[in-house]
Amino acid sequence: MAMNLTRRTFLKAASIAAASVPLANVRAKAESGLVKAPLVAPGSFKNTQTVVGGVCEMCFWRCQLVGKIRDGRLLKLEGNPKSIDNGVSICARGNAGVKLLYDPDRLKYPLKNVGKRGAPKWQRISWEEALDTCASKLKAVIDQYGIKGISMFPHGSTSTYPMDFFEKTVGTPNISEASFAQCRGARDTGYLATIDYPPSEEYADMPNSKVILLIGSHFGENIHVSHTKQYLKGLENGAKLIVVDPRYSASAAKSHIWVQIRPGTDTAWLLAIMNYLIQNKKYNIEFVKEHGEGLGKMAEGIKQWTLEKAAQECDVPAAQIKEVADLLAANMPHVAIHTGRHSSWYGNDFQRARSMACLTGLLGAFGVKGGFVPPANPGGLGDYSWPKSGHHDKTLQELAGLYHFAPPGTPPDLLRETAITGKPYPIKGCIIWGQNPIQTIPNQEKTIKTLEQMDFVMCVDVMPTDITMFADILLPDCSYLERYDLIRTGTQWNLAEEHRQFIAPRMPLVAPGFERKDSVYITNELAKRMGYGDKIPIQTQEEGINKMLAGVQLSIEKIKAEDGIHIQPGKDPYGDMELTIEFYNEELEEHGYPGIPTYIPVEHPPEGYYRLLYGRSSVHTFNRTQNNAWLMAENNINPVWLNDKQAAKLGLKEGDTVALINQDNVKSRTTTTVKVTPGIRQDCVYIYHGFGSRNPELTVGHDRGIDDQSLITKLAVDPESGSYGMRNNFVKLVKVG
Amino acid sequence: MQYGMVIDIDRCVGCHACVIACKAEWEVPAQYSRDWVHRLGPAITSTGMAYTYYPGLCNHCDSPPCVPACPAEKVNATFKDKKSGKTVTMEIAATWKDPFNGTVQVDRERCIGCGACRDACPYKARYVDEGLKDENSLGKVDKCTYCMPRVAEGLEPACVQTCLARARIFGDLDDPKSEVAQYVKKGAVGLTSKAVQIGPNGRYYGSKKGDMELLMQAAPQEMPKVSLRRSLLTQMSLTAKHQIKEIGLLGLAGALLVKSFQEEEEK
Repeated sequence: MAMNLTRRTFLKAASIAAASVPLANVRAKAESGLVKAPLVAPGSFKNTQTVVGGVCEMCFWRCQLVGKIRDGRLLKLEGNPKSIDNGVSICARGNAGVKLLYDPDRLKYPLKNVGKRGAPKWQRISWEEALDTCASKLKAVIDQYGIKGISMFPHGSTSTYPMDFFEKTVGTPNISEASFAQCRGARDTGYLATIDYPPSEEYADMPNSKVILLIGSHFGENIHVSHTKQYLKGLENGAKLIVVDPRYSASAAKSHIWVQIRPGTDTAWLLAIMNYLIQNKKYNIEFVKEHGEGLGKMAEGIKQWTLEKAAQECDVPAAQIKEVADLLAANMPHVAIHTGRHSSWYGNDFQRARSMACLTGLLGAFGVKGGFVPPANPGGLGDYSWPKSGHHDKTLQELAGLYHFAPPGTPPDLLRETAITGKPYPIKGCIIWGQNPIQTIPNQEKTIKTLEQMDFVMCVDVMPTDITMFADILLPDCSYLERYDLIRTGTQWNLAEEHRQFIAPRMPLVAPGFERKDSVYITNELAKRMGYGDKIPIQTQEEGINKMLAGVQLSIEKIKAEDGIHIQPGKDPYGDMELTIEFYNEELEEHGYPGIPTYIPVEHPPEGYYRLLYGRSSVHTFNRTQNNAWLMAENNINPVWLNDKQAAKLGLKEGDTVALINQDNVKSRTTTTVKVTPGIRQDCVYIYHGFGSRNPELTVGHDRGIDDQSLITKLAVDPESGSYGMRNNFVKLVKVG
Repeated sequence: MQYGMVIDIDRCVGCHACVIACKAEWEVPAQYSRDWVHRLGPAITSTGMAYTYYPGLCNHCDSPPCVPACPAEKVNATFKDKKSGKTVTMEIAATWKDPFNGTVQVDRERCIGCGACRDACPYKARYVDEGLKDENSLGKVDKCTYCMPRVAEGLEPACVQTCLARARIFGDLDDPKSEVAQYVKKGAVGLTSKAVQIGPNGRYYGSKKGDMELLMQAAPQEMPKVSLRRSLLTQMSLTAKHQIKEIGLLGLAGALLVKSFQEEEEK
């Protein structure tokens, strides 16, 4: 083993020992285990104030927090002991919120770009000047091009208030939320078209399941505290875990059956399972009789999907598909077919989501223990809203007659296409609020072209990101630890336990630093300057929260007195959900889509290329955490997973440095290392999403690893939902150095 | 009493919350860590594919090699057993093993930052924070304390509290009724190898043979070669300081050391 002590260091230490004061004068007060200040931090529990009411936003799950504060400085975040959701636990990212709060690279003041979009030079300006500029530029766009000249890319709870303003009161239909087209859109619409009920990753009653089926979901790499607790409780209670993934994921590692499926073929696999269950009458006949519609049509349409045919298409053994189907049938209805969340994979995703909903229906796993069960969340919260204007412009997809089952908003590709071509109308103003379209939307060049042709671009964010480089005016938002914000509601995480509900508004743990302002302030000031002052629904976020809480006879003061979380008796979430399962959907067929769940094959990688798959690191929330010094210390690169046989063929070894080049000859701007493993199929490679930030203002995250989004240039748009398939690009590995 | 920590790798999901909570609790600089999570695999084991985690921290060993490696001047320290009130006075350097609770602790005030203890640990559980160097030291060593200051207040160790999986269990291994002792009974083992048998009090439990295989492969396979010569010379330099207080002899010691390193390099 190599010695870390260099000769020079050692000699220096020896000389210091010689020069130091006689040690005999030092009296160690070495009480059991205690070491002395000031060289040792006293601990977060010593001389600190505990502030309640925090609600995390390191991801969207919103765990409830307390903050430990000493001398006005937040030292540590912990789970709120009163929480019946995350309890005292929070994940790595939750713990690292402190480092986001005090990140020296954070946006601090309003900034004006006196350089170019994409190569900014920032000049600090006053809020007055910033707001005046934003309002007058947006108004100028509206005056010249009409309201439809305005577009918006919002993300996160901070953007809901301004999004409502621009969508409802200003009235532009050009709103593109990352959480739809690049995330859960296909899933939501696929379920809606099948059960007319919106799905959620929160609806899997895993603690009480006998079988948990994960299609692509990778608990352990994807962490939400109570969600992961549910999963672990299910395993502890003896649930059988089936994981469908081309990669031996963290969940596959805990599974009983790992289905190492060929990427893109999940729907074929699901159809074969359903066909087998129907053919062998192993489905929930009673439930389907009562709740199903069009089973006969589906049965007829999918009967081609024999185990053997699917085995060939999916590249998994027929016997394994049968084993899975039998396991599901033997344990129905107590089966959790997890809906997943990020579902924009291959451009055939609506059909996969629809198939999952149909399979859940075949097993009768709605509303029953261990199945698809919406928790009985507290109701009755009050509301406030920006008023709707008289504008009711059609969305771009309505004008184009595309994506009839699109989620709300506009698919970003239509928005970009319209902006670049000016057809059917020009889009010249852009508001980006909490979203980073450079690293969320495929084909970055197209996004950049869209921005370049704008008359005005404004960004509001907490951190500099790759998109903020393209702003004309850049405004500093409050982080989730510095502002009041929307209310988190929920129930105890194990639905089978005593029924309880909780209400927890996000409350600030510390005052906003520098000149940061929250989204209610910024939006209202813009509204006043744009002539909508009389439409403002609330003056402060605090007022908004109190309006909502008043609906349940609560207030911020009362919740503070209740340690940040109001808890009340809950309701039994189990029981007939009164759904109709549309195995055949006539409306789909009317719009020219298949009426029954249908497999749409995807292209295979060309010779010498691998399909580029991406996923999550357990310590990151995509790009959002890429400058967090604590999290980057844990994981600061996204090594490319390469099958060991392929590595041998390419002459690549573990740790080699590589660049990636895609089928369109786009080369990654940066490099990464190779992770050689038998735990991935031979036809694909895998990296963590969100790395490789191009913005040099991110002094920790800049150019770390490879930006997978830069390599996703080929678009595969889901025909029903308009969401993106982002796993249809192929890459080669090129050794560097 | 011997404090110990069991990590149930069946439950661990590899979220790294333990590492970050520790950093926040003890204000550990971003580039250092008192604990860690390593990903092991996916790799082929005797039972097929496996992929697991090695959440590591100081093992507060029965025979900690870091303790005798410390060259700092020894002082008398009195330890008190909280329960019985019994006291023990013994000579300790800047790192020692507590005679009552079995934890290994550090006195950073007396630490000279030489890194000898860090180098002596086969688990690499210590780091020297060079940012803390002053006129008396090259930095200060740091490691997991099993959160004794928190435990003294009735709190759980920070990593245990934040663990969403309840994969970390802390307690007294000597108490047969404790959860940690129950785990040991069930088969929780320390990360030892043929050459490394120093009685680690961190124990790992996993029901899957493949996972445990990967974990045992991650165990240190050899004891660090802390050369006797080094230790001797360290002692010499300190003895020189105290007994003769003449820089001349220290120079001699230094020269001797340089020579010995040269010899080492020549080999």
